[in-house]
This record gives sequence, C-alpha cells and structure tokens, in this order.
Amino acid sequence: MNEVRTKPPLGRIEVSNFSLSYESIDGAVQAVTDTRIHVDPGEFVSIVGPSGCGKSTLLNAVAGFLKPTTGVVTVDGEPVNGPSAERGMVFQQYSLFPWKTVRENVEFGLKMRGMPRSQRERAARTLLGLAGLEAFEKHYPERLSGGMKQRVGIVRALATGPKVLLLDEPFGALDAQTRVIMQQILTNMWQRLKISVLFVTHDIDEAIFLSDRVYCMTARPGSIKAEIPIPLDARGSSR
Amino acid sequence: MPSAGAETKPAVASAMTPGPTPSFAALARRWYRLNQAGLRAAVIGAISLAAFLVVWHLLTTYRVVFFVRFVNVPTPLAVYASFTKAMHDPKFLMHLLLSCRRIFIGFSLAAIVGVPLGLIMGRFKLVHEAVFPVAEVLRPIPAIAWVPMAIMLWPTNEQSIVFITFLGSFFPILVNTLHGMSLVDPVLVRAAQCLGARERSIFREVYFPASLPHIFTGLTVGMGVAWVSLIAAEMISGQYGIGYFTWEAYSLVQYADIALGMIAIGVLGLASSLLIRAAGRLVMPWRPK
Repeated sequence: MNEVRTKPPLGRIEVSNFSLSYESIDGAVQAVTDTRIHVDPGEFVSIVGPSGCGKSTLLNAVAGFLKPTTGVVTVDGEPVNGPSAERGMVFQQYSLFPWKTVRENVEFGLKMRGMPRSQRERAARTLLGLAGLEAFEKHYPERLSGGMKQRVGIVRALATGPKVLLLDEPFGALDAQTRVIMQQILTNMWQRLKISVLFVTHDIDEAIFLSDRVYCMTARPGSIKAEIPIPLDARGSSR
Repeated sequence: MPSAGAETKPAVASAMTPGPTPSFAALARRWYRLNQAGLRAAVIGAISLAAFLVVWHLLTTYRVVFFVRFVNVPTPLAVYASFTKAMHDPKFLMHLLLSCRRIFIGFSLAAIVGVPLGLIMGRFKLVHEAVFPVAEVLRPIPAIAWVPMAIMLWPTNEQSIVFITFLGSFFPILVNTLHGMSLVDPVLVRAAQCLGARERSIFREVYFPASLPHIFTGLTVGMGVAWVSLIAAEMISGQYGIGYFTWEAYSLVQYADIALGMIAIGVLGLASSLLIRAAGRLVMPWRPK
C-alpha cells in the first residue's frame, strides 16, 4: 500500500473503440457499440442510462467478466483480461458470502492474497471500524439489512486496496432513505481513499450527487450520448 | 450499540436495552411465552403417541377382525416383554450392532464417493456429460433388485449387503450434490473472482459451502434409503442384522419379536437422521434453525 502512495496517482481507466455483441438465433446483437470513456485517477465517474442500455455490460467488461468484441479496456495502460483484485466490484444483488461472517467476508480478498490470519483479522477490524460496522463483525449476512449488506460489500471490495472501484447499481434495491445514507457513506469513503470510481446507475439524481463527471448512455445499440462534467456546487444542491 | 463511524448510521440494530433484572417468575413466564409453540407441539405429540398405543392395545387384546386381522398381532405389553428379554440377550444386541455397522460403512462410502463426484460433475462439464447418463440409467433400479447381482459380485455375504446399502444411499447423495452445485449463485462466484480468488479457492470457498445445504438434504434422504435397502438385503440374504431378526421372528412364529424388530428399525432410522441433522447444524452455523 505504501509503495502505491509514492508512485504517481494510479487507477486510470480507459475504454476505447469499445463494442460488444453477442450471438443469438437472429444473428449478432449489438449490446454496446463504438464507445469511448475514461476515468482519471481519483475521479468519480457515473454512467447513467435506461435499463437494458448496456451500461452494466460496459462495467462488466471493465471488471473483466466480458471480453469486448472490438476495442480495448485498460487500467493504467495495461489491458484488462479477466477479473482481478485490482478492480474491486460491488454488485446490485447482495453478494456477501452467506457462510462467512461480516469480518470473514471483508477478509476474503486478503486471504486470497495469502495474508496470515492474524494480520488480515486486524486489517478487517480496522476497515469495519472506519465504516461503523465493528459491532456486526461476527454477524452472518442474513441478519443484516439491505443497506448494511451493501456497506459490507463496499468495505469488502476496498479491503484489498484496489486501484479502481466498480459499482453496478449498488443501491438499486434499497429504499429511498437508506439510499441517501449510502450515497453519503460512499462519498465519504471515496474522499478519504482518493480511489477512482466507475459507478453505474439509472438514477440521474444519484449520478449528479456523487460524480465528478457523468456519461449518459442510450439503448439499442448502447452508446454514449453525452458527457457532462458536474460542477462542485451542483452536487450539494441536487438534493 | 457503539459506533465509531462519523457517518449517519442506518437505524437497523433494534433496541436491545436490558431493563432492570426481572424476577425468576417473570423470567419463567417469558420463557413460557417464547417457547409456547414448542411446548404445545410436545404435549400434542405425546398425547398422539399415547393414543396410538391405546388403539394398538385395544385392537390386539380384543383380536379385532375388520378387513385387517389383528388376531396374531402382538399386544404392546407382549412386545414390551420381549423387549426387556431382548435387552439381556447378547444375540439381539449383536443383530443391532451389525446392522449399524453395515449402515455406517455403506453410507460412509456412499458419502465419500457421492459428494466429491457430485461436486466435480457440477464443476466440470465433461465429467458431467460422461457420468450423468450412466448414473441416470442405474439410478431407477431399486437397491433390492441388485441383491442377486451383488451376491455374484462380492465374495462374502457381508460385503454384498454393505454394497446394497451403499447403492441405496449413493444416488440420492450424488443427485442432491449435483443439484446444489447447479444452484450456486453466479454473482457469488464473480464476487470471489473480483477479490482475487482462483479456480481452486472458488471451489473451496464458494461452490462447496454454497452446495452444503443440498448435500445435507442428500445425506438425509440417502440415510433413509440406506436403511430401506439394508433391511431388504438382510431379509433376503442375511445372517444377522435387525432385518434378518425381524424375518426370522416370522419364520419362528415369534410374533412379538416381529414388532420389536420393526420398532428397533424405526428408532435406529430416526436416530441416524437426527445425527445427520445435528452434523448439518454444526457444519452450517450460518443457516437459520
């Protein structure tokens, strides 16, 4: 982690000439076509669009779950091929491991990296403390509310110190009140960690509230229609 | 609830503020309120069992013949008498012990082979495609139908009985493990990949625990079928074993022993499935009770 700090800021996402199509019985279907986006190091960028416009497809390609049909996805100049702990991801569906406690969920990435047990326990406790979740470290996910689950999901994705954080409509299943709280928590964490964020949502207000920059996508085939920088004072007043 | 986070905290943790220490009577009343449903079930269950015994007693003492003939059926008291006698009879205990041993070996082998095979079939398509058709063809054959074949296949009677028990429990275990693997939530796999998990870790940390509830369903069903198969095999080809004991009692006109054998089978079957349920709770602490 210290080594990362001394280098110039990292976490630049570049997607260029991107298109993705899949085969169906009626021939190739264009999910996303001719797309170019980027996220600067430490920037918070959202992609907004109606459901089915391909914004999740784009995000999944950045995560490494889908291969672009044409074009490349790079993070800090290195092409993405396959998922990795460099790119943390938070999903719309609750994706905590039900058989692991909150702390074990947060520890998971560190365990995969081979960190010894005592060390990763300490690291997980610290992170959970920062997120105000230390009282729940021994709970199984089933006992948590939806907002709480997503909060743990974000902490888990950040635990390995990824270069970028990808979020796929993470608050889509939450009630309006919890959503607002979660947006504030995410903003706080982002400001503290200075991490690059690519955030997918269909909620324009949410995108404006959170982001430095917003890409608008249209459907069939999915493509970027507009790129809108959000001035700092617009964010506070959007609510 | 302490919270170090500066952010607003969602109102989630319900208030668990302990009041003043309640008196013993109040505690007892609260315990009763919380466990009312369980107590009710226990009381009704006991009444129903008692009623069963009473009906059995009446039907047999008066030797009722009404479509079904209770003429030769032993009374509960006669069965109890033969039970107390059997408890001091080392031969009866040996019958029980032998059946338990056969179940233990046959069932354990089925679990040791069936669970890993199901996991591997669920993960690797080629293995699934190769093994599944054979399994589907063999699966509908009841274990009892294997008895003649088993006698030919295995050098000793004991081995062929264990083999039948193995076969009975093998398929439910395999099929349920496979089913569990097919239901693993793909988002959990992707989450693990995003956290740096490789194939082997994903198998150990995601696929296996995610399939455990279904594996235990398979083990429970498999244990039931293991008993069915064992008893049938013992009745046909056995020397010793509780199934053999029950059949022999019929041949020797020891009618009370027939019922005793049946009850022993029931109790052992129940005990073994309770054992599996307990193991399941131990292995899956995250599951609600």
